[in-house]
Amino acid sequence: MSRELDLRVRIASLELKNPILSASGTFGYGLELAGFCPPEALGAVIAKGVSLQPWPGNESPRVAESASGLLNAVGLENMGVEAFIEKALPPLKAAGATAGANILGRRPEEYARLAARLSGTPVDFLEVNVSCPNVACGGLAFGADPAAVGEVTRAVVENCGGKPVVVKLTPQASDVAAVALAAEKAGASAVSLINTIPAMAVDLEGRRPKLANVVGGLSGPAVKPVALRQVWLCARTLSIPVIGLGGICSARDALEFILVGAAAVQVGTATLMDPRAPLKILEGLRNWMLREGLDDLSQLRGTLRV
Amino acid sequence: MINEISVSGPLIREVQVLENRPLAQGACLMTMDCPEIAALAEPGHFVKIRAWPEAEDGGRPLLDRPFSIHRARDGQLSILYRILGPATYQMSLASAGSLVKVSGPLGRSLAEADLNPAAGFYLAAGGIGLAPMALALDWLGGRGAATLFYGERRGAAQVDRAWLESWAGDLSATAEASPAYGRTGLLTGPLEEALKRQIRPIFACGPTPMLAAVSDLGGRYGTPVWVSAEAGMACGFGVCLTCSLPLKGGGRFRVCREGPVLDGLTVDWGKIG
Repeated sequence: MSRELDLRVRIASLELKNPILSASGTFGYGLELAGFCPPEALGAVIAKGVSLQPWPGNESPRVAESASGLLNAVGLENMGVEAFIEKALPPLKAAGATAGANILGRRPEEYARLAARLSGTPVDFLEVNVSCPNVACGGLAFGADPAAVGEVTRAVVENCGGKPVVVKLTPQASDVAAVALAAEKAGASAVSLINTIPAMAVDLEGRRPKLANVVGGLSGPAVKPVALRQVWLCARTLSIPVIGLGGICSARDALEFILVGAAAVQVGTATLMDPRAPLKILEGLRNWMLREGLDDLSQLRGTLRV
Repeated sequence: MINEISVSGPLIREVQVLENRPLAQGACLMTMDCPEIAALAEPGHFVKIRAWPEAEDGGRPLLDRPFSIHRARDGQLSILYRILGPATYQMSLASAGSLVKVSGPLGRSLAEADLNPAAGFYLAAGGIGLAPMALALDWLGGRGAATLFYGERRGAAQVDRAWLESWAGDLSATAEASPAYGRTGLLTGPLEEALKRQIRPIFACGPTPMLAAVSDLGGRYGTPVWVSAEAGMACGFGVCLTCSLPLKGGGRFRVCREGPVLDGLTVDWGKIG
């Protein structure tokens, strides 16, 4: 353990201390799991998505397990951007964490207003959710269309006061790289993918859906191969960093995303399985690099031989 | 919600199963050697359990499962559970000596409720809602009289009456469609008769319609009702919001953080599917 590993990742003007980030919606507002995973130990914490006003989300049940997967239909319940700035962000920054705000809206103007509101705050970067499947009129409508993603991205970039903007993409686009390219051309500093995959589960005997919202978003190990492909497609097309997520449960999973070109990764469902997961993955990543004789992740990143 | 952030609290431990046995009709009791978590346990607290291997690919089932703490004493922690799906089936296979992962204690307990135990208590348990009642009785101890009202939906005994009587003290047991326990009907019948004789606070755990009915009874008789609520849950630590349930007059609570024990009169039972 004597060698110093360089795990730093650069996203525009921002330097992350390592490539392991918490995925939005799986790490609360950043401090809830601090006893198991100090937020400052991660490359960044991406907080639960916030909208202009608090949203109540969907009714219960909001969760169902499927084979190696987790369906959720929380519906973006959140405290709203004002409470986030006032209550959640200060202690997270005080803890020394690099903090990303995940923002969500129904129209480009709402994204613009969220970006403007967050521009003068200590938040380190914005992640723009253009892709959550769990709200009736948000997400997918923007997320699958390159022109719409470009429009939303531009609205955020023009109003965020120069903070790095990460655009979180849906796996639903027929040509995900084209959507990612639209975000890049509109000024995104990075893209992250994949968000959950629209899915459903039913109770056969009860003749009912397992989620009150009927449909939800699938995450967890079941979606990893889908995510890996889409990250690979984007990484070889874009010149901005690609942040990979989708079912990462182990250091090996994280390293696989980096191998296909991800600059950094997010850990989501695995944190719901065990709050220590992001730290364990970070430690496992270090150990693998030492074992393989790597000093720097650039020696692995995008080196897939095809 | 954000005010509930804490940086200490629950523990995650790998512990040994001491005993894991069926009680009747798919209800089982698992006892573990778990001194650190047992020492912190209060009635209504829950734990997450994983009685199957962790794996690099996430393993199956994926998520640990939440269970009320049934009893915590002498360094031992026990869980009363019903075999309902693959996770509880896996749990039922764990033999004495095997290792299971336990996270907890989680949530708010009855001990944090604003109440006076000396006033006595009615405990209302529907089916597997018996789970937190032994710890509640231990906690009440000599501080106040308690009567347990136990009701079963399916008419056939799920738990052994002798086992129930071994810890339940003053007991009224009913089965919905048969005289399995000597009395047919819903537990709200004898509970209401008792309230007519003497008003006491209520602690209830069971299916949503039962919690709604018991909360309604409490409202009508003007006595506090503390319920142990239940919802599908992923993380158990307050971050995923999958267990969020509606409150009357708007607002929501997380079963895993603001619950599971809370004032039943504040919950909007009608909206819970």
